[in-house]
Amino acid sequence: MVATREPAVVDRTTTLETLLQTPAGKRMMTCIQCGTCGGTCPYGDTMDFSPRLVINMLRGGFMDEVIKSESLLQCVACYACMAKCPRGIRLTDVLLPLVKEQVLVTHTPMPAEFQKSLENMNRYGNPMGESPRKRAAWTATAGVKIPIMAELKREVDVLWFVECYTSFYARGQDNSRATARLFNALGVDFAILGNEEKCAGECGQLTWESGLFESLAEYNMKVFNKYKFRRLVTGDAHAYNAFHFRYPMFGLTQPAEHTTQFLARHLDRLKPMLKKPLDLTVTYHDACCLGRATGSYDEGRALLQAIPGVKLVEMVHNRVNSLCCGGGGGGMWLDTYYKQKGMDRLSDRRVKEAIATGADVLAVACPYEISRFEDALKVVPHTKPIVVRDVVELLAESLA
Amino acid sequence: MKPIVPKKHEPVRIGYYICHCGTNIAAMVDVEAVAKYVATLPNVAVSRHYKYMCSDPGQELIQQDIREHRLNRIVVEACSPLLHEHTFRKATEAAGLNPFYCQMVNTREHNSWVHTDRAEATRKAMALAHAAIERVPHHKSLEVKKVPINPDVLIVGGGIAGIHAALTLANAGKMVYLVEREPTIGGHMAKFDKTYPTLDCAMCVLSPKMAAVGSHPNIHLWTYSEVAKVDGYVGNFQVTVRRKPRYIVEDLCTGCQECVAACVFKEPKFPDEFNLGLGKRKPVFLPFAQAIPPIVMIDPEVCLNFKRGKNPDGTHTVSDKCKKTCVQACGDRKAIDFKQTEETKNITVGTIVMATGFKIFDARRTPFFGYGIYPNVYNALEVERLINASGPTEGEIVLRNGQRPKKVAIVHCVGSRDENTNRWCSRVCCLYSLKLAHLIKEHTDAEVYNFYIDMRTPGKGMEEFYNRVAEEGMHLIRGKVADVYPDPNDGATGRVVVQAEDTLTNKILKIPVDMVVLSVGLEPHPEADNLRRLFNLSCSSEGWFLERHVKLAPVSTFTDGIFLAGCCQGPKDIPDSVAQAGAAAAEAMALIDKGHIEQEPNTAYILADECSGCKSCIPLCPYSAISFDESRQKAIINEALCKGCGTCVAACPSGSIVQNLFEDDEIFSEIEGLLAPVPA
Repeated sequence: MVATREPAVVDRTTTLETLLQTPAGKRMMTCIQCGTCGGTCPYGDTMDFSPRLVINMLRGGFMDEVIKSESLLQCVACYACMAKCPRGIRLTDVLLPLVKEQVLVTHTPMPAEFQKSLENMNRYGNPMGESPRKRAAWTATAGVKIPIMAELKREVDVLWFVECYTSFYARGQDNSRATARLFNALGVDFAILGNEEKCAGECGQLTWESGLFESLAEYNMKVFNKYKFRRLVTGDAHAYNAFHFRYPMFGLTQPAEHTTQFLARHLDRLKPMLKKPLDLTVTYHDACCLGRATGSYDEGRALLQAIPGVKLVEMVHNRVNSLCCGGGGGGMWLDTYYKQKGMDRLSDRRVKEAIATGADVLAVACPYEISRFEDALKVVPHTKPIVVRDVVELLAESLA
Repeated sequence: MKPIVPKKHEPVRIGYYICHCGTNIAAMVDVEAVAKYVATLPNVAVSRHYKYMCSDPGQELIQQDIREHRLNRIVVEACSPLLHEHTFRKATEAAGLNPFYCQMVNTREHNSWVHTDRAEATRKAMALAHAAIERVPHHKSLEVKKVPINPDVLIVGGGIAGIHAALTLANAGKMVYLVEREPTIGGHMAKFDKTYPTLDCAMCVLSPKMAAVGSHPNIHLWTYSEVAKVDGYVGNFQVTVRRKPRYIVEDLCTGCQECVAACVFKEPKFPDEFNLGLGKRKPVFLPFAQAIPPIVMIDPEVCLNFKRGKNPDGTHTVSDKCKKTCVQACGDRKAIDFKQTEETKNITVGTIVMATGFKIFDARRTPFFGYGIYPNVYNALEVERLINASGPTEGEIVLRNGQRPKKVAIVHCVGSRDENTNRWCSRVCCLYSLKLAHLIKEHTDAEVYNFYIDMRTPGKGMEEFYNRVAEEGMHLIRGKVADVYPDPNDGATGRVVVQAEDTLTNKILKIPVDMVVLSVGLEPHPEADNLRRLFNLSCSSEGWFLERHVKLAPVSTFTDGIFLAGCCQGPKDIPDSVAQAGAAAAEAMALIDKGHIEQEPNTAYILADECSGCKSCIPLCPYSAISFDESRQKAIINEALCKGCGTCVAACPSGSIVQNLFEDDEIFSEIEGLLAPVPA
């Protein structure tokens, strides 16, 4: 929708004080206080200051009250407010991060799990605190050769940015192994950064810590600049979001694509290779960072429909109206906090809708969702079995 | 007064006047400095600045100077010539000088309103003035030509605006051609139940006017017809109208509908357009009971006597497979004609009124309101039909499952005030939403929730109406609905939850309701862009037809002789549409009753001695005003047809075409003046 169709965001020097003078801030001056943002916000009913009210407090000069409250701890950066905003106001990626940054400065201590993850990102380049030297360890299990930029010493077509969950977590690695098989099958000229890669930092930026994001972005840009590649492809919707919107401000000139977008672009070559029928009813969850953030709703669905035997069904909330898994904007590490506050877990809400479709598979395109939805399925009762699979896993399985 | 004709040897004496226009010009242009500067230019006898040149004293100033200072050229630097060229030409003429010795310089729209640097704007005003001062000495005495006007009027669109304009003109004795693309006139208003703020029934006030159109001796009513081609210009438009086949001979059909009863389809089976698909009709049908003309039509897409599907040329082939019980029922009236084909009518009219209306916003474009997904989500026009006694449920408000709703949500601003869909306020939705709230409550005693952003109820009697409806116990919630989804606690009744932030209590509401009404906004008609091209009109960026001046020429267009009425110009309610239609009719009449059009003498003519007879100008003329004299082997321009576009002048390879008011001397001098150095 309007806001998401315009790639330009505020520059790196904007603060809450100067925001209203920027083009994005002038849009905020046009807010008609209709409450669409608050009404669509998945945690709108638990916030003291709904997104609508945040805008009006900003315009009225009462931001101190907003910063003192815990409202912004409940923002999972799902882009729902921004996508539906009738005035095209950039809430999710401009206004709210600036407020969150101030919340982080003011509230001490922040919830421990969350604090720890930010520290890990800073120290180890990944939120789980895993050793950076083991980042490329998964490649040993890939089954195909994974070229590494530093060893390849030539230009590649695709620089594959693997990202954290997909490097370190067992279920995340399934995604990476599947992607590797698909790239191999398509004959893609690709390489990864290996242990040189650090978290793209999207969650650092969109949540709270612009300083942390900047240091990660500057680090990754320095590594990118060492090598020659024509495009950046990543399976992490959040990293894609950062590369698409933020990294150009740090000098990234190559186009960035999410794996679903890249594969959908090569679907005419991929489709004949998808020979093994899967015979599954699949429902597709729109990742916030792909769908609402960039309008990429069709690629994931097109890929699933290319698999023989797959029947696609839709959940009640889909596409622009999709429900967030609750993992964005730092929500990934705030589950304990939300539980203490007696709040619904959003991933539970989402899997209830998936279960209601009667699908065999809940297909996702963002690595956060695998663990979030698998956890949710453990607690939400259901009679018919349903599993969570990434789109690339299903595609790789269908490769003959 | 004896006209002043400057003699050849008489020196040029220019009077120059720069207008302050209050502060419109004077705030950004140092008018005193400009007047001082112009006084130093050659041929300038008088140079003045004045607060309001267009005022009576301002005009009197020019006339007095002409007499006292023997002026023979006038330059007025003020606003757009669109507004006041006529004023100053008249003032010039009143003092006995030919009006075409007067030249206007636009220093407001082209200068003071668009610049922010006063010194630079003043320099620009000087340069523009200098250009005119250099130009006017070359002006000649010209005569205004009078061309007779065709008194007949074409009205495009038979909604309430078109109907009202047609009746006004026809009652004044003008011959009117009313062209409507649908099989009946009545437009959107015929679909409404009651109208705000008085709650009188729409058809009760509309049907007498429709009937009057149908029987008026001065109105040619052509329904199921479209304008295919428009040529010519004000006073003399040649229009081609396509009359689509309805497979019924209009003159022979009596509207008895015996054919409908006799149709081989015993029950109505096909979606009924008039009821927006909520009801059913047969292949032969009358659009609705009070349709005008009261003539049935046959839908060849579903009638068994036609082969399925259209031919590539858009026609349908008769299959002769049906028993044709309709033809038997029609009997001696012989009104059914399966062989009917499209008919083309050519007419000539002097003026045109565009009343092509609007379309409602397609709510599927905002999928989170659930329209087209959940059966109990309706758009407001559908609900008008449900409430209406002549509608598919005979006025009973029941859902698709036959149940009567107990809780109803009305969602304002669907497809209005939204950058993602339409930016404008559709102006009628707040009030029609209040009206629907009242009617729904009256019919069903349901709890009604109105979700609004701002309640906009301007106009006579409107705020009072809002007050009345509020008092009836509506839930008025300030907050736009953000999500509509099936109620998780509902079995199978199709109940949905509407979710919104109540912005006045800071609470997120999740209200289960049986029915959702989407107050859809108004959009330009999908055909508006084609019509714009056909009639050579301008459109706003949104696609509404553009009026000549938003305040002072609200029903005129930039094409002389074409006027606007109703929602084709922008969203408006019935009273405003009718008022505008009356205004458009009056504007048309003002032209017709004058009897002639005064043509600006900016026509082109051929210097016969220099014309080489190459004929290259002839096919270029958009008005077919150039012909070829075979005996003399020269081109000739018909002054009555020439509109002064200048195409031939620029194209003539031998430079032998000259255009009045745009002669080479005039333009080159003007350029020299413009480029001359201006004091810093």
